[in-house]
Amino acid sequence: MKKSINRSGSHIAIQAAAKTGKWFYILFFLVITFLPLVWLVISSFKTNFEFETQAFALPKVWMWSNYKNAMSMAGLPRLFMNSIIVAASTTIVNTLVASMGAFAIARETFRFQNLLLNIIVAGVLIPIIALMVPFFKLVNGFGIYDTLFGLIVTYSAINIPISVFLIHGFMGSIPRELEEAAVIDGCSFSQRFSKIVFPLTKPGLVTAGTFVFIFCWNEFIYAMLLTSSEVSRTLQLGIRFFRSQFVVDYTSMLAAIVITMIPTILVYVFLHDRIISGLTSGAVKG
Amino acid sequence: MKTWKILALLLILALTVPGFLLAQSAAETGETVLKWPTIWVGEDSKAGEVERLVMEFNTLNEGKYQVDIEANPDYDGYRTKINAQVAANAVPDLFVFNPDPTSFSYYEGDRLMDFADELAGDWGKVFVGGAIGDATINGETKSIPYEIGVTPIWYNEALMVKAGVTEYPETIDDFWKVADKLKAAGIVPTSQMTGGTNAWTSMLWFSHIAMSIGGPKVWDKPITDPVFEKAAEILLKMYSDGNTTKDAVGGDAGVSGGHYLAGRTAMFINGPWYIGRVRGEAPDVYENTKIASLPAAGDYPGGQIGFALSNLAAGATDNAAKKGGVLAFMKWMTEPENVKAISMDSGAMFAVKFQTGAGDAVDPLQKKFTDAVNDASFVGTHFATVYPSDVVAEFGQALAKMALGRATPAEFLQQIKSVID
Amino acid sequence: MHSVEKVLAARGLVAKTGPRFSGDRPMVKRNKNWKQIILFLLPVLTLFLLYFVYPLIFVFVTSFTEWNGISAMQFKGLGNYKRLFLSDTFRLSFRNNILWALVLGLVQIPLAAGMAMVLARKPRGWKTFRTIYFLPNVISQVALAMMWLAVYNAEYGMLNGLLNSVGLEQLTHNWLGEYETAFPAVIFQQLFYIGYFMIVILASRMGIPESFYEAAEIDGANVLQQEAHITIPMLRGILVTTMTLAMAFGMRHFESTYLMTNGGPAHQTSVMGIVLYRNLEALRFGEANAIGTILIVTGGVVIALLRWFFGRKASASETVQ
Repeated sequence: MKKSINRSGSHIAIQAAAKTGKWFYILFFLVITFLPLVWLVISSFKTNFEFETQAFALPKVWMWSNYKNAMSMAGLPRLFMNSIIVAASTTIVNTLVASMGAFAIARETFRFQNLLLNIIVAGVLIPIIALMVPFFKLVNGFGIYDTLFGLIVTYSAINIPISVFLIHGFMGSIPRELEEAAVIDGCSFSQRFSKIVFPLTKPGLVTAGTFVFIFCWNEFIYAMLLTSSEVSRTLQLGIRFFRSQFVVDYTSMLAAIVITMIPTILVYVFLHDRIISGLTSGAVKG
Repeated sequence: MKTWKILALLLILALTVPGFLLAQSAAETGETVLKWPTIWVGEDSKAGEVERLVMEFNTLNEGKYQVDIEANPDYDGYRTKINAQVAANAVPDLFVFNPDPTSFSYYEGDRLMDFADELAGDWGKVFVGGAIGDATINGETKSIPYEIGVTPIWYNEALMVKAGVTEYPETIDDFWKVADKLKAAGIVPTSQMTGGTNAWTSMLWFSHIAMSIGGPKVWDKPITDPVFEKAAEILLKMYSDGNTTKDAVGGDAGVSGGHYLAGRTAMFINGPWYIGRVRGEAPDVYENTKIASLPAAGDYPGGQIGFALSNLAAGATDNAAKKGGVLAFMKWMTEPENVKAISMDSGAMFAVKFQTGAGDAVDPLQKKFTDAVNDASFVGTHFATVYPSDVVAEFGQALAKMALGRATPAEFLQQIKSVID
Repeated sequence: MHSVEKVLAARGLVAKTGPRFSGDRPMVKRNKNWKQIILFLLPVLTLFLLYFVYPLIFVFVTSFTEWNGISAMQFKGLGNYKRLFLSDTFRLSFRNNILWALVLGLVQIPLAAGMAMVLARKPRGWKTFRTIYFLPNVISQVALAMMWLAVYNAEYGMLNGLLNSVGLEQLTHNWLGEYETAFPAVIFQQLFYIGYFMIVILASRMGIPESFYEAAEIDGANVLQQEAHITIPMLRGILVTTMTLAMAFGMRHFESTYLMTNGGPAHQTSVMGIVLYRNLEALRFGEANAIGTILIVTGGVVIALLRWFFGRKASASETVQ
């Protein structure tokens, strides 16, 4: 908070009310967002009996064995590896492809460009579960069923509308004069993209990239539909191994969920935070 | 320019690295490889023996056939995937499905292998009576009957005793008296649920009641028949006056099973697959669990529910080697000795006959399930095997409406009928 | 709105912000860069054609048929659509989707924007808060649903436990099992997970130069006035963007409801995605795809209306200034 240099009494009262309101607001969200995490971690140390009968009590005995079960999940390192490859590759492919497309649409003029943008962005609305049969046919037809490559292409494609939408929004607001100056300096079309627009769109790329990464990390239905063998299985499929037709080992599954969450949290805390703070400080420098 | 090059490099890496990682797959050996996506893996009680049998099959047929298990433990996901694969005309070499009117539509067209000719011979004799008939449509048997389910009433005898009940009720009128005594002792009489994909526990209660009134052939009648209305009235009563838990409306299988496990409810319905859970987590409840049929609600007392739970099937193929492999594997999996091995180890029940000797250790509760079927005056099926999956889904929704007092039993049935039409 | 632009504008480096859509400019006969444009659009268009256009044509065409994926399709004309609009369940689901879109767009986004404004002023621990608020977006929906099922449970749930402990027994409910409470409870579960949108808005908010606020402070504007007169107008672009996205998510909402209630009790929490999924499961592809078509068309209309409304309002406010 900045030091107030104002004199009027009502002004100070408003500032004080805003301050109380602010902390109430912060705390409310803190509780509601932190609660699931705490619950998740505590529950992952319970027995299934405790989990099903006393959902909010502390475990009598802390069941580290749940974590042992989760760690012994078949091929855990491989699952991790696959998830990382898929999520990272998809994020790169998707944001790159989407930013190139968004650049052409946002920074050039051609017939039907707005129509094109609107059509692509309308893809955000599509309930992708409706597309299982055609997606399966596509992936099977291209011979990339049960490959990580198939998943990467599919995930990259699924996230095109949202990425184009977000990135285009950021690109559209970059001053045209910057590019015009660059053209005078002899920059080519692709240099305008790589040297000027792309670097200036970093907040958009990070915003879209974060979304895409988390999507890939947590996606289940298409991972299940488009892969079958251990070679291309991802973590979300691994977690389901604590489930069977009639009985679920809830607490080992929760332990597995906790383990699988850690990388995403780390990616978020370290990468995202760093990029975002880099961005804002970079922006001030112009 | 640098950024640009880095980006191009990243893109190439992102696209090729996964490709290299995959290059190692598919070493050609000249064997006919059959892929078997299956749910009998991981925590499933049959997983161990199924895997052993597949390995044994592969050893016996070395150089000829090889079956690869593709594990998919998520049951709903598995079903969704098989649906998509059948619709995309890319049926797996071998798979398992849950026989109901929806999945029987896989039989249309020429996508599944027909076993009718082979089953007409000696192989057909290993199955229990009627099983093959149930898997045959228009003379085509495009799946092999395999696992069966039995879902009698479970009750916790200790809780009954605590409430001063000494005898399991004979008739539904006795049942209500028992329920009142249980409530007086602070015990909730029944586990129920309207949630999940099929309101499982309550759907089974309803099926038991309907067959007790109308007999095993009750399902031939239209759903708006007075028999079902009477059954719905009884089910509604189970939802009223504290006869079930407060969270039954909207509750899923975790809710109905959890209350029984915790000793909060005295009566419950499920199959033998739940025994392991009870034995492991609630030993007291396990010790006190008894198995029974529904107290008579009509003219057909003492019936039980037994139904085809999973059938084995295979994608149609012109490849003679593949066809031979599928047949060999199906025969292997249905060999009485092998089926017995799975059954003994897992507690699951099968449509294949096998002999048990004195030396075979069977879980005592497990044995009660077998006895319950053998002693039953008749064995019929349940609602969810009779209707397609959207009708089954509507059952839980309509039941919630009735349980909340917003629909009469007749309206409940009418709502289900509106989806059947 | 983008930070760089604001900085440059603040320093008088650019007289006027660039147009939001270059299409606003007079149409050039043929862009001399057309080859590169096509090259740049090629990857995105290829993926889009394969994964959206082709499947959507498939969805659209089959929506006029009866088809179980196995036997031959039978043309039914508008039969599937008629059946859907005559179905109480579908109409209820349709209404619920509209409500989802409105609540997410008009309540969740303001909540997220409010939090972004609070955190942008860097109260103590703001970086930690920023991280924590985002965490639910990282946790799988499966785990979140499991927890909220336990919170709302009528027998041992935490919510009823809280109410009982403060003497409000009469307010306890079977939250997910009653007509009055089920739908609000399902919405409530998602409403406060503002993390993603908050981050997006916060990133833009941090780009507004501090000097603007300092100047306003000297002019005697209080915090609320500063937010109303500086932050909100400057974030208009990103607010419309996030609101559009949130509404789109509301229209196609499926997962958390499917996991918590599967549309129950008696379809009270149902949404179009759930009806669609149920039809897919029953191998009724014709009807499922008709729902898909309806969902896309109505969603498109809602979003077009939103953009039109804000676009118009924005230009109106600009002329006032």
